[in-house]
Amino acid sequence: MRPALAYGLLAARRRARSLVLPAATVATGAFLLVMVVVLMPAVRVQGAAFGRAADIGRAAVVISVLVLLVGALEVAITATRSIVARTREIGVLSGFGVPPRSIVVGLLVEPVATAAAGGLAGAVLGAAAAVTGSAAGLIAAAPAPGPVVSAVSAAFGVSLVAAALASAPPAVRAARRPPLVSLTG
Amino acid sequence: MTTVTRTGHAVAVENVWKLFPVGDDVVRALVDIGFTAAYGEFVALMGPSGSGKSTLLHLLGGLDRPTKGTIAVNGAPTGGLTESQFATLRHSAIGFIFQSYNLIPFLSAVENVELPLMFEPVDRRSVRTRATELLELVGLGHRLHHRPARMSGGEQQRTAIARALIGSPVVVLADEPTANLDHRTGESVIALLEDLCARLGVTVIASTHDPAVAEHATRVLRMSDGRITEEVTHVRS
Repeated sequence: MRPALAYGLLAARRRARSLVLPAATVATGAFLLVMVVVLMPAVRVQGAAFGRAADIGRAAVVISVLVLLVGALEVAITATRSIVARTREIGVLSGFGVPPRSIVVGLLVEPVATAAAGGLAGAVLGAAAAVTGSAAGLIAAAPAPGPVVSAVSAAFGVSLVAAALASAPPAVRAARRPPLVSLTG
Repeated sequence: MTTVTRTGHAVAVENVWKLFPVGDDVVRALVDIGFTAAYGEFVALMGPSGSGKSTLLHLLGGLDRPTKGTIAVNGAPTGGLTESQFATLRHSAIGFIFQSYNLIPFLSAVENVELPLMFEPVDRRSVRTRATELLELVGLGHRLHHRPARMSGGEQQRTAIARALIGSPVVVLADEPTANLDHRTGESVIALLEDLCARLGVTVIASTHDPAVAEHATRVLRMSDGRITEEVTHVRS
């Protein structure tokens, strides 16, 4: 399995330029999710002033989860596009007798690494922005370390799992295709 | 990387048919094909487009299966092999040279040559040494780290030849190896294939329109409408 992972990482590194946009989208989703979770106490305080604390809190969570899902969807679309673009490469690998399982692993590294990088960067930036905002007096309630860590972990985990789940079916389909179909398709 | 013991013929084809259903009709792509190729032989499959050359190469390499008949590679019949077993056979005994090279654009020349072994838990340094030696053998020792986009058609085809040899195959199947090359580059690629047969004992089976390829082959099988219509053996001095 290690050689397939190494190949996948090499491909992701060399193709990094085409992965910037999906990584940025995932990062935005993770950033917003962390911000919302961390700022929830302050949002509740502000919402209470309008008499709609619960509604405003729920809306903020829904928006951030939607943004994160859009980011994950972007990764999935990019993974599918990338697999289509790499059809001949898959055909060559199959033609040279590389087992389908190794091809799947090699193909999955790219979307998962993209989501991991984007998710982590966005989550850490979100936490940093919340802490900085609080220190600067822009946020009413100081974020507690526990919820910050939980929010960063959740944003990172959701990005990773969504990318893996969304990318697996097209990768498996591509690796199982007869090599001749991939080479001439 | 596995070492393959050589037994029987490098390739033995017997009564092979390939039929493709097209609507209500059946296209007979290959009709009762039979031939053998010895180790170190250079066999050219000649004929017009649609004569069945590429289909035959696909069957020999297990990229497709015959409708009827038997094919043996390195003495082992391939008819009963599962896809996974055929993949293992391809990996250990068969090398491909594709018409359009099919190099991976984000890999350098030496990495492209290493590609068939990249998914195996083998010593990376020895694979790199072997890939470098092969690129030197095909005259590309100075282009190791160039990507395909920065290489000429001839250089890309030479890289593809080196890649076909990295697994020490018994048989190399070449689909129109000179089709996209100018005359001079084509000549050098043919000389290289001829040299591989003589020096490494690799059996090369190449489909081609190019009479120059046929001139260098030890045997020419002329094909028309899915049949072998003529077989010419060239005796080398």
